[in-house]
Amino acid sequence: MVKKELLKNEQMERILSPHPLSFMKLQTLCIFVIVWGFLVFWLTDFSEYASMFAGNPWYPLILWGLVLLLAGVIASLVAIQWTIFFLYLFVFISAVGLLFWQHWENDSSLFIFIYSIAVSIVGFLLVELYRRSHKYIITNLRVIFKGGIFTKRERTIRYDKIADIDAKQGILGQIFGFGTIIPVSQSGFGLGSDKTLAAGGVEMGTSKARFFGFAGGGKEVQTPIARSYYELHGVYPYKDVKQLVEDMVQSHVPTQYQKEQIEFQKQQVDIQTQMRDLLHKQVREKPRKAVRQPIEAEVEEEDAEEEEVEEKVTGKKTVMTEEAFLPEQVDIQQQMKELLKKQKTARVNPPEEEEAEEEELEEEAESGKEKLGA
Amino acid sequence: MANVPLNIDVLVIAAFAPILGVIAFWFLQLFMIEIQKRMLSRLRHRHEAFCRFTNYIGILFQAICQALGYTVTRSGIASFKVTVSEEQVEPKKEKEGVFDWISRSFLLFGPFFLPAGLVLLISYFIIGKGFVYLTPVDYTFVESLTGFWLSLSTLASEYINFLVNIDLLNPLHVGFLCVLLFFGLGIRPSYIGEGRKEKIDMFHDLRQIKDHLIEKPWYIAVIILILYMFYILSLFINPVLYIGLFTIFGWLSLTAIIAIFLTFPLLLLLYATDEIRPRWHIIPFLTVILSYVLARVVLFYYPTQKVNGISILIMLLSTFLITMILIKYKKTNRFKPTPKMKHLRDSDGKKRTIKK
Repeated sequence: MVKKELLKNEQMERILSPHPLSFMKLQTLCIFVIVWGFLVFWLTDFSEYASMFAGNPWYPLILWGLVLLLAGVIASLVAIQWTIFFLYLFVFISAVGLLFWQHWENDSSLFIFIYSIAVSIVGFLLVELYRRSHKYIITNLRVIFKGGIFTKRERTIRYDKIADIDAKQGILGQIFGFGTIIPVSQSGFGLGSDKTLAAGGVEMGTSKARFFGFAGGGKEVQTPIARSYYELHGVYPYKDVKQLVEDMVQSHVPTQYQKEQIEFQKQQVDIQTQMRDLLHKQVREKPRKAVRQPIEAEVEEEDAEEEEVEEKVTGKKTVMTEEAFLPEQVDIQQQMKELLKKQKTARVNPPEEEEAEEEELEEEAESGKEKLGA
Repeated sequence: MANVPLNIDVLVIAAFAPILGVIAFWFLQLFMIEIQKRMLSRLRHRHEAFCRFTNYIGILFQAICQALGYTVTRSGIASFKVTVSEEQVEPKKEKEGVFDWISRSFLLFGPFFLPAGLVLLISYFIIGKGFVYLTPVDYTFVESLTGFWLSLSTLASEYINFLVNIDLLNPLHVGFLCVLLFFGLGIRPSYIGEGRKEKIDMFHDLRQIKDHLIEKPWYIAVIILILYMFYILSLFINPVLYIGLFTIFGWLSLTAIIAIFLTFPLLLLLYATDEIRPRWHIIPFLTVILSYVLARVVLFYYPTQKVNGISILIMLLSTFLITMILIKYKKTNRFKPTPKMKHLRDSDGKKRTIKK
């Protein structure tokens, strides 16, 4: 199935999926429900404080629900994700509904315990399903990310488009050897922002005259952050995968020297293209018969050595030819001369020379400033 | 002022009784740590994550102790980093002399006593009894030593009583047991190396401490003098103060010993399950939970005395029996090479199928 998706000359290096403990944040939500359910059951039925809850069968449910919702609010604030609160709210409302429907009010604490276990098991299964929906394929050309239970999402990033790699390994990751790797693309995909907001209000005064003040502030920090299906989330073995991705990126990113070479080649191609165009133009202009011969010869000897060409352009013969051409052709000749000079002078600057040039430029700029100041 | 007889035993020798007691228990703690470390290092190749976890706890406490040392000496903390393999705590100001010595003392001695101190604090709320001092009458060396021993034995018996009658359906008891196991795996100063060549053992710890103490003999002399002054003062103010101070250190060592001792059954269970075939080795762990719950349910309908103790006994016996049966009939294949196959690679990167 995966092999069909590969491109031409593409080879698969690794197929990965997140470590079972990499979604511990979600699993903790389920663990909390089960632990708190057991605690309420023990507290209201078996502990020394059991008599406090003996009067009203609704007390255990109220205690359980209040703490559950409070935990939901705290977790939502910490994780900046209100889904957690609404999830706990749904769990609580479902419990109340089921209790009413089945008339289990008298055994509310036992019901809470069993209900907590059932809800947690469902939660664990959903988390596991979500985890298994993730698939990361590392090939020799790109990384493919896949994920999502109902909505299938896919992201592909080529190694030459990766600008930065963010890697993180938490405590559990360090213990069990998994970690998360976020490839940040040149367009900024993989970058997110953490926002914090603080606000406070003060109300003073009596009922007749009141003073109200409000102050707030926010902060936004750019940080590598992505959905689990857009990053290599909790991959195992972390060190090997990180090394593999880094090697791949390194092999696809040209070095400074290679970049300079490419730039130089581009310049050369441009010059040659311009020269070819000029030569074509020169031929199309139909010069006098007397001078057609040397020009044709020149066209045929297009690939001859530079020195010979220069001689043709600058020698007496050329001067004589120039005299025979139309003024447009003289312009073409001059342009060609300039291009040849440019081609000769164009070269790859070694790093030392570049530095020296930069220093010279800086010195010039400084001296310019001084002059301006004077 | 108490009636203190003025003789050499009372004025000089008796002062060393609690110090000797602390040193004896500390050595016992060191010995237990060494046994635990050796057991863990033998488990490492099969239970990498477990050993990393225990390392992390140990290194975390070591880092906390170092940071505490820098805080006490007002050096400040510039950076604090803890991973499963190393810790890095750097001071804001590099201090020398006595401050540097105190900082390093925290680093060397802290990991032995800080985790144990936290467990002792929790046990005060859970156990509550057993924290007793013996008020001296004759102020002799033997009496001080006996008093020290009595304080420790009282606490030890309370611990044993608690553990024998522990109610594993009580969240507080389960929580305390988890704390004991958690800290028990981390009450040690040095780290379990990945390679066998790395020899960080009891002698390594002792050598480090010896070097540290020999480095500044004057500081040791001053500390002994201060302690002696404190002893003399306490003789005339309240003799329990001096014995009490050292008894606390004794309790810390005792707590550490009990915590480490509790981890041994867990490590032995891991050893035993390694002998069982992969699909079956989860059964002993399930037996631990199921047998206890089953025992409690049965004893709920057929009430008897010492329900908790009997349940614990049933749990231990059934786990032992099931594990032994599994080892006998479902023993793992001995011909399997112990290191993972994927680790066996040549230097050129080609995979090998046999061990070199």
